[in-house]
This record gives sequence, structure tokens and C-alpha cells, in this order.
Amino acid sequence: MSDVVLRGIRKAYGEIQTIHGVDLDIRDGEFIVFVGPSGCGKSTLLRMIAGLEDITQGEMLIGGERVNDTPPAKRGVAMVFQSYALYPHMSVYDNMAFGLKLAGVGQNETRTAVERAAKILQIEHLLDRKPKALSGGQRQRVAIGRAIVRKPNVFLFDEPLSNLDAALRVQMRIEITKLHRELATTMIYVTHDQVEAMTLADRIVVLQAGKVEQVGAPLELYHHPANLFVAGFIGSPKMNFVDARISAVEQRGITVQLSDGSSVTAAVESAGASVGAKVTLGIRPEHFCFDTEDATNRISGCVMAVEQLGEATYLYLEVQGAADMLVVRADAAHPARRGETVQLRLPAERCYLFNETGLAYQRRAAVELSK
Amino acid sequence: MAVVLDKSHRWRVIAAHVFLLAFIAAIIFPFLMIISISLRPGNYAVGELIPSEISLEHWKLALGISYQGLDGQLVEPQFPVLLWLWNSIKIAAMSAAIGLLLSTTCAYAFARMQFKGKRMMMNSLLLMQMFPSVLALVAIYAIFDRIGSHVPALGIDTHGGLVLAYTGGIALHIWTIKGYFDTIPVEIEEAAKVDGATPFQAFRYVLLPMALPILMVVFLLAFIQGIIEYPIASVLLHEKDNLTLAVGAKQFLYPQHYRWGDFAAAAILSGLPITAVFLLAQKWMISGLTAGGVKG
Repeated sequence: MSDVVLRGIRKAYGEIQTIHGVDLDIRDGEFIVFVGPSGCGKSTLLRMIAGLEDITQGEMLIGGERVNDTPPAKRGVAMVFQSYALYPHMSVYDNMAFGLKLAGVGQNETRTAVERAAKILQIEHLLDRKPKALSGGQRQRVAIGRAIVRKPNVFLFDEPLSNLDAALRVQMRIEITKLHRELATTMIYVTHDQVEAMTLADRIVVLQAGKVEQVGAPLELYHHPANLFVAGFIGSPKMNFVDARISAVEQRGITVQLSDGSSVTAAVESAGASVGAKVTLGIRPEHFCFDTEDATNRISGCVMAVEQLGEATYLYLEVQGAADMLVVRADAAHPARRGETVQLRLPAERCYLFNETGLAYQRRAAVELSK
Repeated sequence: MAVVLDKSHRWRVIAAHVFLLAFIAAIIFPFLMIISISLRPGNYAVGELIPSEISLEHWKLALGISYQGLDGQLVEPQFPVLLWLWNSIKIAAMSAAIGLLLSTTCAYAFARMQFKGKRMMMNSLLLMQMFPSVLALVAIYAIFDRIGSHVPALGIDTHGGLVLAYTGGIALHIWTIKGYFDTIPVEIEEAAKVDGATPFQAFRYVLLPMALPILMVVFLLAFIQGIIEYPIASVLLHEKDNLTLAVGAKQFLYPQHYRWGDFAAAAILSGLPITAVFLLAQKWMISGLTAGGVKG
């Protein structure tokens, strides 16, 4: 078990810099998830921790030791690859025993370790098979088993579930959580799927274009995104954004005027806000209210599309002045039809507000933060 | 096959078969011809394909057995054909093994490592190989003459020298193996490195076993090359007992007397080791060794 510390980590391929100075403290035993869109550098960062990519600049410590120049084999890490990367010419047993064999561990000890790992992952009956005789889910288990057997200090997962089908992915997700509980080892997990990030992580690191956008617990990111990018990335369907202008700064929050003339108050700290400034109002699809007795904070829109998922209905609204359609999550039984106009209330404590540079105004609704 | 076929399909199949049979016949004919010549009495290149009279005199000579000639004299084998065959096998096997070792490691560097001038070096390897080595025979002679004065075991008229000359021609093998390495997902070796393997261990225990088919192909090609090569061997080897079969067999054909029968028997002999090595290597030339390693 080890903590991992990144200090000003940079990566450049020739002239092109892909990681722009990442600082991160990963605590011992923590489950950290790197999340971000394709090409944001999350896999590169993971590979740098593994030692598969060298570090252009900065310092990396694993268990308090500087590992910048330590080869992967000596870092005490184990990695599960997106493509499984099993040794195709070896049986499952040999795949899992390979690391121990290289380390010069005795045969009996190896057998015990492999069998124990196989039991945890329920692949005992597959030990004699070659990888090509396994299904995708089984291969992924073998890949995880290969990592477990070595009792590493840090587990690295590079999008391990993205090649599995949806049902298996959910199942493996739960098993990885269980695994983390049992092993209590530091785990670093890369994914582009924010649902995986939300469900697995102790803390999420949101990356974009080689920079850390925000680090925090899943719900912290959900309720208090630091900026537009994080707000848009965490949550599904993504948060709605509407351009607005500040019309009043008050004790209870900031009131903004949308381009269709309606005004909305968001319960956010008013520090740094000035009347007339351009802002972006954000609200999540699941936070719209249909009770319209309250006259304030209302907008209306024309329903352009209705998606009925059974458990809920998503309405796509065209709102005057908004660049994109708003997505609204309504009850499954909501009667709205295409072409109708609906009235919506935006609860002030559910609204997010971002200044012109994309930074969030601190929200007041701290009650929601349940860690 | 349940695919619906066009009516003309049958005729196309027949035409294809006719073409293939003709093609096979064209390839097999010279081979049958040589067998026929080696079994006919006398030394004639022309004659019927199925000999009217079978004589083993050429084979006896080739195998080093003396026989009673037509005039009643005992004909002693003039040349050590079996020794030549052994020389050929020895030189071909050694140069193939050393060449394989060098080209595999070299291909690994080109396929997996980053260094300056990689592209240029790869291309120049190929360009240099394209230059026919026959044109450089004089240079090769001079080089080995000089080498021999320092390291006698590698000089003119030594098998070591010939093996060294042959192992120089591995550029194509490097390209072949590199091309195969490129198709093997690099993650598998990365997994090995994270698993605690040194770069050499990842190469030895993970990459090489997966590349076995291409290694066998390259070994076979190099072996065949070593058996059939003539120009360099003819320049470097002089002593009768040192010759390879390809060079030695030429001695059956001197201008005053073309001994086609003896030559044919020697030629068939030289094909035997190639066939044997091919049959052995075939076992390893299987596809699908990398199947299942990564998500396709």
C-alpha cells in the first residue's frame, strides 16, 4: 500500500505538450478515478505513473520514494489494460503466475497466490485455458487477477470495462468496488464514463486538455463544480447552459436576465459579481420543477422532442434566446407532446452560475453535500 | 456453402482447375525430369521422361559407392558428394541460426525502440540489400582475404568465412520480422514490463513466443538461401573438401564432359535438407498465436 504524489508533472512529445503540470496527492488506500473526454491525457498520466511513459518534467513519488527514473517493474504497481493485454501463448494460470515467476517466487507460493486470486474472481475453472478460449468478461477477470496476484502497492486500471457489454460492465463495476474494499489498496482508475467515475471513486480527478479541472468527491463535483467544463461533464444527461446577464446582486443570490426577458435568481455567493456582467446559467435536467404557482424563476419553452424511457421522460425544449435545446427530465407519466409549450420553474437553490471565464460562483446550497 | 451461385460459376471453377493443373504440371515437370535423368544410364540431358532402363550408377557415385562400369572397370566416386552435402547443411544451418538471432534482435530494436535515424537506417538497409552481391564479389574476396590474415577461421576457404558472408544478408529478414512485430500489440509487452519483466525478459518470454511463425519462416528462407547460394561460395571456397554441394555439383559439368546424370543426383540430394527443415518448421508455422491476447 502506498500513497502517490504528483508534483508539477508535465509530458511533452517533442514540441507538443500534452500534460500541463499536474499536482495531485493520492492517499494510501484511496480509489481515485481520472475522468475526462478522449485525448485529455488521462491515460498518458496513468502510463506515467506505471512507468510506461517517461516524465518530461516534474516529480512523482510512490510510497514516499521518487520514481521518475524507476522502471515499471520496480514501482510496485500493477496495471489492467483496456485491451486486457493477456499473454496469448500462456494458459490463464501462467498468465497470472508470470509476474511471480519473474520475481523468483517459489512454485508452491505461486500456486497459492494464483488460486487465491482465481477464487476471488471466480475463474478457478478457467486456469488451464488459453486466453483465446475465454469470453471478454473472463479475459478481463484474468487481467485483473494477474494484477492482484502480485500484491502491488498501487493498482492502475486503464478503462478496463470499456470493452465489455453494458450488463457485464455494471457487474464488473460492483466487483471492482468489492475488490477495493477487500484489498484496501490504492487504486487509480481511468475512464471516460462519468457514471463509472461517480460510482467507483473516493475522489474524482476531472481532466481536460492535459490540465486538472477539479479534484473532489463524486457528489462534491456534482453539486459544486468548479467551472463550466466540470459542470457539463459530470451528470447525465449533461447540464443545460443558458447565456444570461446579471441584473441584480442581492443577499439571497444573483438575479440574471435571460435573453428572452425572463429573470432567474440563483442562490450563489455574490462575491465578484457585478450588474451587467455576462454569465452562464446552468441547471441540470433533473432539477426543473413543473409546479408553476410560484411566479418567479420561470421560463417557458416549446417541446421539440419527447424521449420516453419508461422510468422517466426527457423533454427537449426550445427556449427563446438559448443557443441549445434544454433537456428536462420529467415524470414518466408527463403528458407533454411535441409542439406544446410548457412552463418550468428553476429552483434558485438548484441553479448554477458561471462567470464569463467559466468559473463557478460558489453555491449556497451546502445542505446537499452529503459525503 | 449456401450462397446462391451464378450459372456460369461452374465453368469458372472448371477453368480455374484446368489452369491450376497446368500450372502445377509446369512446376513439377522439371523436377520429374531431374529424377528421370538421375536414374537413366549415361549422362544425357535429353531423353524420355520415364526411363526405359533404370540405372543407379549416378546415385552410387553421389553416395560415394563405387560401381562396375560398362567396360567392366570399377568406377571410383570422383567427388565427395556426401561431404559437400554435409558442408552445405552445416553452413546453411549456422548462417540461418546466426542470421535469425541477429535479425530478430535487430527487428526488435526497429519495431519497439525509439532512436535517432531509425527510418533512415531501415531504408538504407533495404537499399544496400538491393545492390546485387554478385557485383561485389571482388570486394567480398578482398575483404575475406584481409579478415583471414587476422582471424584465420574467418578467411578465404573457411566455412566460418562463408557463414559470416551469408549472415551479412539479413536486411530483408529484418524487414520481414519487424513487419510481424508491428502487428503484435505493444500492450502485451507493456503488461509484461509492469509485471516485472526487464526489456529482455519481455522480449524473450512474451514477444518471441508470439512471433514464432515468422521466425520459422525466416529461418527456412535463410536456410534455403544457404543451401542454394552459388556465387559467393564459389569465390570463397576453393579446396575440394570444403565446397558446398551447390558449388561442388558444378564440377560435374565441365565443358568437355557434361555429367548430367551425376549432377541431377547431386541436385536432388541438395533438395533433401530443405525438405526436411521445411517439414520440421511447418509444425511451428501456425497462425493465430496472438489470438485472445487483446480485444480484437
